[in-house]
Amino acid sequence: MTTMTSPLSDTDLLALESAKVVDARGSACPGPLLEAKKAMNTVQVGQTIEIWSSDPATKTDIGAWSAKVGHTYLGTVAGEGYERTFVVRQK
Amino acid sequence: MSDQEKLVIMATHGPDDPERATIPFVMACAALASDVAVVMGFQADGVCLVHEGEAEHVQAPEFPPLKKLLDDFRELGGQLLVCAPCIKSRGFMDSLVPGAEVVAAARFVAEVTSATNVLVY
Repeated sequence: MTTMTSPLSDTDLLALESAKVVDARGSACPGPLLEAKKAMNTVQVGQTIEIWSSDPATKTDIGAWSAKVGHTYLGTVAGEGYERTFVVRQK
Repeated sequence: MSDQEKLVIMATHGPDDPERATIPFVMACAALASDVAVVMGFQADGVCLVHEGEAEHVQAPEFPPLKKLLDDFRELGGQLLVCAPCIKSRGFMDSLVPGAEVVAAARFVAEVTSATNVLVY
């Protein structure tokens, strides 16, 4: 069963250095997910990608996707009019 | 035999119902992004979605354009199977989008019975 708990605090998330930022603001479902999938293939195992999305469903979508495919969802923080979701590549 | 999960998605609605036409592709692309193999099957008016040039005119509110989803689906490695009698009756046997494979009932049965799950729209 997928868990959606965020293991990192907002402070910790904001301190992360992402290897790749995906700007999917304005993109409709499943756009942010597909952009995240593409971006994940461009970073090394152990590196973090950050997805920017104005779709409030993205954080649960990315969390479920991460659990499904074996990456680590670190959490989501609010930006100005969008959300920033962090995932670590694990394979 | 592969251990990979496989989802079969049957689409039976055409451009006249943009939302029902689009959601099968949304689910298909999300599944492919999740490392699930996907076969999309098109029957009845659903075959119009893979008629060359028709996807360009389908846009459901709050969803990506169908053409974008169709392109994403093919780029991610999904399969498109199209009902032979359905396209014959509509007169576009030779004008399907690239990658669409014309099949009959037994092929659909084989795909469905070997799938992990099946969605019908």
